[in-house]
Amino acid sequence: MHLERLDEWRVRIPKDERRGMRTDVIAYASETLLEQIRKDLSLEQAMNVATLPGIVGPSLTMPDIHQGYGFPIGGVAAMDYRHGVVSPGGVGFDINCGVRLMNTTLYETDVRPRLKELVDQIFRDVPCGAGGQGPFDITAKELEEVLVRGADAVVRKGFGEERDLRFAESRGCLPEADPEEVSARAKERGRPQLGTIGSGNHFLEIQYVESIHHPAAAQAMGLEVGRVVVLLHCGSRGLGHQVCTDYLAQMGSAMKRHQISTPDRQLACVPIQSAEGQSYLKAMRAAANFAWANRQAILHLLRGSFAKIFGKSARLSVLYDVCHNIAKREKHTVDGVERDVLVHRKGATRAFPPGHPEIPREYAHIGQPVLVPGSMGTASWILVGAEGAMEHTFGSVCHGAGRLLSRTAAKRGQDARTVRDKLERRGIIVRSETRDGILEEIPEAYKDVDEVIAVVEGAGLARKVARLRPMGVIKG
Amino acid sequence: MNFEVIEHTADIGFRAWGASFEQLLVGASQALVSIAMDLGTIEPAHAYPIAAAGEDRESLLVNWLSEVLYYLDGQRVALARFEVHRFSESEASGLGWGEPRQPRHEPRLIVKGVTYHQLRIACENGKWVCEVYLDV
Repeated sequence: MHLERLDEWRVRIPKDERRGMRTDVIAYASETLLEQIRKDLSLEQAMNVATLPGIVGPSLTMPDIHQGYGFPIGGVAAMDYRHGVVSPGGVGFDINCGVRLMNTTLYETDVRPRLKELVDQIFRDVPCGAGGQGPFDITAKELEEVLVRGADAVVRKGFGEERDLRFAESRGCLPEADPEEVSARAKERGRPQLGTIGSGNHFLEIQYVESIHHPAAAQAMGLEVGRVVVLLHCGSRGLGHQVCTDYLAQMGSAMKRHQISTPDRQLACVPIQSAEGQSYLKAMRAAANFAWANRQAILHLLRGSFAKIFGKSARLSVLYDVCHNIAKREKHTVDGVERDVLVHRKGATRAFPPGHPEIPREYAHIGQPVLVPGSMGTASWILVGAEGAMEHTFGSVCHGAGRLLSRTAAKRGQDARTVRDKLERRGIIVRSETRDGILEEIPEAYKDVDEVIAVVEGAGLARKVARLRPMGVIKG
Repeated sequence: MNFEVIEHTADIGFRAWGASFEQLLVGASQALVSIAMDLGTIEPAHAYPIAAAGEDRESLLVNWLSEVLYYLDGQRVALARFEVHRFSESEASGLGWGEPRQPRHEPRLIVKGVTYHQLRIACENGKWVCEVYLDV
């Protein structure tokens, strides 16, 4: 594979590298990260994405890229809204998997003495793992509300504040969602799961601000060194998974009708303007709304846990909420022309710069907060979107550290108790529903999050605001 | 056991085999369940019908496994044994034996979906084999 280095942060795979590519691949990666990236199929997958009809600009990959299925995880592709395609694989099974960060009124010194109690309380209150059924017994009608209104449906039931919505991407709700396009199965699978984290790499972390890198932005977000924050990573649970399964099953015959072929079956796609494309998008938006409602419901449970340990004066407020598995209709300028595009972000985060109309006014002068969780036991980052993201990556950046080792490789030669004890000696308390939940997510299984962040900042896509250190981890 | 787990950077996969395509469906179903929970803890007390269709063997396998997954996550039923009774190139039907999910089933990973990523089905020396990757 011919890789042409454009600068310290980017390489290009020209479109003539393989037959069928309609555009170049631009991969954001330092030499160190590139060496790791080339060990799996992620760049080949980005080349496959470059073959999709109606792609606008390059097929992009972020520095946390790793091999996915169909699309690489960490891939961004914009499709012309009139003539392009939508690919359920470009969104993934976990529709609107995302991250919500809560600021608190507490400091590390307040929490440290009662950390074990707090982690145990959250572990009791917030269901996680494969057995997790949510405490919200919602009716079929209430589920419809959730699918249409997203986080707002949960706030209206009294589980949150109006302010929570203002600090979520798209205010925690995508319009034009249609519950009719969501199968009975998806609804059945998702209904008992509202207010649950799930398993795999989903988690909830109690963290504190270790360092500030952008004082003005930190001030706007109410952050200072030592402040405790809570980071939640989860998505649309079984409801979103079933929506993806249902639409993938229909795509094969629809692609034949529309005479589309792809190099990888998992990249199945249909024209955005086709009946199948519109149905999928309406169902995808409903699933995205379920995910925002899920994160809102979990926030309600968390508020209860904090109140039980620290009393009612300990407050949690949403700092921001981002989705990193989604397809969104946006306007972007490409080669000087404004284009109406559907941006697929598969393991990538929206990162709009200062002044963008979709940013809440409190953050208008600093840019949209971008939340990048690192691996368990290392660090996470808060960034803000910068102009470079609008110019080069359809307003997108990375979504995490990026996986390096397979789950099997991560577990090899490891013992859950030893890992837990090692983390505890470093001041990090971990509670997990399963032994594998700890072993598969060991810090060594991930790339160096600081290296990933250095690339997105160096390339001018986002700016560092604060580095966060974990104290308590709750996992499935 | 007629399956084994294989590696993937972010997700997980399995290789399953059988003397016939029907037996391959059985092995693949057990492999999927074993990734989600401990197969040995499930009592095959009740029979649950499974039916799937597909335009070729690949989509038939993916759709069959998606049916099994729906039982696990949607119906909250743990399945341990499988039988395929009727089979053609594009359809299969049979039974899954198991019981409603209980804490003693020892959950492992939540499987989000069955993918076509590097999906491989082949008949080698009279034995059917498949490789399937799951999103977890």
